[in-house]
Amino acid sequence: MNVSIPHILDQIIASVPLFKPELVLIIGFIVCIFTALFFEKRWKNSTFIACMVTLAFSLYYLIDQMPNTGTGFSGMWLVDPLSTYARLVIICSTLIIAIFLQQRHSKKNNGDVYSILLAATLGMHVLSSTSNWLMAFIGIEMVSIASYILVGYFSQNKVQSEAAMKYVLFGSVCAAVMLYGLSLVYGLTGNLDFQSAMHLQGLMDAPKAIITLALLFIFVGIGFKLSFVPFHVWSPDVYQGAPTAITAFLSTIPKVGAIVLFARLYQSWTSTAFYFSELSTWFIIGVAIVTMLIGNLAALRQQDVKRMMAYSSIGHTGLLLMAVFAYQDAFSYLLFYIVAYVVMNLASFIFIDQIEQQTGSTSLLSYAGLGKKMPLLFTAFTLVAVSLIGIPPTVGFVAKLMVFTSTFSFFQSSGDTGVLVMLIVGALTSVISLFFYFKIPLYAFLRDTDQPVAVKKQISVLLCIAYTLTILVILFGIFPNWLMAYLSTSFS
Amino acid sequence: MGLLSILIFLPLVATLLILAIPSSAKATYKYIALCFTLLQFGISLYLYGNFDAKLGGIEQMDAYQYVEQLAWIRMDLGTVGKLEIDYFIGIDGISLPLIVLSTLVMLMSVGASWNIDKSPKGYFALLMILNMAVMGVFSALDFFLFYVFYEVMLLPLYFLIGIWGGARREYAAIKFFIYTLLGSVLMLLVIVGLYFSVINPATGAHTFNMLHMMNPANYVDGSFFAHITNYHEVFGIPARLIGFIVLFFAFAIKVPIVPLHTWLPDAHVEAPTPVSIILAGVLLKVGGYGIIRVCYSIFPDIAANTNWWLALIGVISIVYGALNALAQKDLKRMIAYSSVSHMGFVLLGIASLTAEGLAGAMFQMVSHGFLSAALFFLVGVLYDRVHDRYIYNFRGLASLMPKYTAYVAIAFFASLGLPGFSAFIGEAFVIIGAFNAESMSTGIPRWMAVGGSIGILLSAAYFLWTLQRMFFGQTRLQGGQAWQEALTDLNTREQVVLFPTVALALLLGIMPSLVFGNLNASVIQLIDLIKPYL
Repeated sequence: MNVSIPHILDQIIASVPLFKPELVLIIGFIVCIFTALFFEKRWKNSTFIACMVTLAFSLYYLIDQMPNTGTGFSGMWLVDPLSTYARLVIICSTLIIAIFLQQRHSKKNNGDVYSILLAATLGMHVLSSTSNWLMAFIGIEMVSIASYILVGYFSQNKVQSEAAMKYVLFGSVCAAVMLYGLSLVYGLTGNLDFQSAMHLQGLMDAPKAIITLALLFIFVGIGFKLSFVPFHVWSPDVYQGAPTAITAFLSTIPKVGAIVLFARLYQSWTSTAFYFSELSTWFIIGVAIVTMLIGNLAALRQQDVKRMMAYSSIGHTGLLLMAVFAYQDAFSYLLFYIVAYVVMNLASFIFIDQIEQQTGSTSLLSYAGLGKKMPLLFTAFTLVAVSLIGIPPTVGFVAKLMVFTSTFSFFQSSGDTGVLVMLIVGALTSVISLFFYFKIPLYAFLRDTDQPVAVKKQISVLLCIAYTLTILVILFGIFPNWLMAYLSTSFS
Repeated sequence: MGLLSILIFLPLVATLLILAIPSSAKATYKYIALCFTLLQFGISLYLYGNFDAKLGGIEQMDAYQYVEQLAWIRMDLGTVGKLEIDYFIGIDGISLPLIVLSTLVMLMSVGASWNIDKSPKGYFALLMILNMAVMGVFSALDFFLFYVFYEVMLLPLYFLIGIWGGARREYAAIKFFIYTLLGSVLMLLVIVGLYFSVINPATGAHTFNMLHMMNPANYVDGSFFAHITNYHEVFGIPARLIGFIVLFFAFAIKVPIVPLHTWLPDAHVEAPTPVSIILAGVLLKVGGYGIIRVCYSIFPDIAANTNWWLALIGVISIVYGALNALAQKDLKRMIAYSSVSHMGFVLLGIASLTAEGLAGAMFQMVSHGFLSAALFFLVGVLYDRVHDRYIYNFRGLASLMPKYTAYVAIAFFASLGLPGFSAFIGEAFVIIGAFNAESMSTGIPRWMAVGGSIGILLSAAYFLWTLQRMFFGQTRLQGGQAWQEALTDLNTREQVVLFPTVALALLLGIMPSLVFGNLNASVIQLIDLIKPYL
């Protein structure tokens, strides 16, 4: 390690342009802390505005960065189209979440929540643009700690505090286990960049028992963030206990970063024919199958819509894993699935929140007869549910079709029965998911209620966003080209 | 924008119009729906009038008529290749009769919906979306497009049954949805598999084009569904056989065959009259159409080897459906089971792989389409008046409702296959086809034809018995005086809806060439496609 200091400095300065969107986030984070401390009392929403401005600038620099690819900070920082698009998705959805928070939780001085949100976003950016284990771990921890705070931030009753506590305990244990796995991997390979030749060579030479242990430990950490089975047990409680805006955040954004990291990892590890790549392949197939099954089957029994959505997002994680499995050189369909998933989930949580505002309940039973009172909202909600099942003409269908397509091409070339089983399970679970997603229109339109519910007519910014997202769900379902052409321009 | 596209998307315009008009003017909805379906019917008659009967279709692209082909989705999936999806529609002799039938049945169903007063806005909007999807299914030639329309059909039906249906509507609606979706998600996997096995010879890209899938030359050697040099097996079963079975399973649920028919009695009984009409008149035909267009045309080799089993399923459906119909005490349930029995003829005819049998199956679909629609409409007439359709609650209706009885009698006689009516032609041709199959060595034994004839006998039994139980004898009603007053004879609107179907049954019974003329070339084309594998 005889690199001279000026040389290091030169490299850091040269890398800064690649880091602009994140620098903006860091500055915004600090600004938000200050505005929350000093200005929030006098000018309400000042922190919100600061947060929005930060996100807008970050977005601007991201778009500016679009054609660029490169690495910076001695290979720690990786900018490629996958990372850029993932970050675009992250920033855009953070914007919506910020508006969500502002609309719902502006009564008290809640300025700090925006700085935490920005910190979480920064963590996600790190996750989606690195191939270095150290950075990845830092990213995961940043997201996790920010999420712990967000879940507990608005807690008013025991259930909400319990949710936050569960989340923290489970998260810390998983992080610790992952760190232990990382230390093993580092010991075996002497290199923390999982794409480097040295790292792969080290894994090839390592004894099977230790490598199995290390890999499984690492997957524990990622599994916690993605909430795939068996590391999903925290998510239903947390989703149900957290305020809806935070649940919307938890179910979408952290998964984007984690799935991008996992996709990179999976791609570099399975490109060889050695034990550890076989292990990863079998791991991902097994976990995807089990996750799809358990997520969808458990959702059947839920009576609370937020809890149901938690299981539904576990089920979708299974499909995302399938997308990761089939991840080859082109990842446009992975991104397509991510965009579809984020759009659908954000829309449904906004709807859930709007209904909760009117009825004060997230129980499915309380939806009875509401379809007549709020026809537009429930029609849109039903369309989103249709998309979540994966029925045309919606974006959910196209996304599912693309994942199936890429997985099938894998199956055709390998003839592996496990892959076929995964495909069949993927198809069958969408039939299962019909049962629980259609509880929403079932209660809203098919059932009547005795209790009169007073529905206030109101047009909110949030509803407008949700309707726009619903239109996108249909539009991208009929013309996936529009999204796809955009995603694949810089990939070819 | 060609005529066929206009036919498909007219109902969408109607939907938007209905949604745009405020609920205060809700009386206009039914007139909008009526106008648009009338217009559609006119267009379909025009298509029929200008159809060139000499062109075969099936796998020849040039032989399709009113073809429109636009590039719809082009996506670069990297190593997976380019995704090539077209907006590709056109009709041949197989789809033309069904399109004309669908527009007619849709018209009838709008006529039957005249008295809907529970949120008419949603009702007519959904009905029109369903209408669009049905037209799309019958004209799509791109598998992706076909699948989209196929699935879009489900959603409006779920709500139409679920919201406007009878007492057990929730159960019936979800059962129907689950059954169909189960078939279609597995179909999706086969579609993906076919996509990877087929190359568009013009561009070299993988394609969803159904016509390319029908040509063995377009299959990639060694691909999953390849014709020759295919070593792919799934759980020990050859890949092409699996593909055929899965597709057949998806469409067989629609037909429906025994034992996948259990959704049908529930859906029919719980659905409101207009939806029953569409279900029986059009949606069951989607199953038969799918088997011809997709299973048989894309997998002719498997079709030639499995037709014994398909014919067996057909015979079982005929006999089992008829026996069930005999045992029913609910009039609507009886007619629902008679549908199962009559659709069994379609399957038997298709599986016979003879020109007579296939043409008979097509004819039977058309004939059953409007006859079952008429039957369900007639049940609806009774149910509208007294909200009861239990067979034993009525007796001697003939003296009370003479016109109604006349229509019921004609519809019953037409359905049971009395010579001179359309159902006779369809069933007779199917039986002839099945009987000839042995001499054509397509693998269908003669006893199956005999089994089919037993079905005709049984259908005479249950129809005539019902006629006798409900309409003849001394008038005796469960509801007493109140019912006697409520049971008024048919009004003008009801007669306007019913008369064309009865007239058509007679017309087609006397001049079957009106249907046969157009589909003959296509049927022979299909037989030619399958013959090399026999």
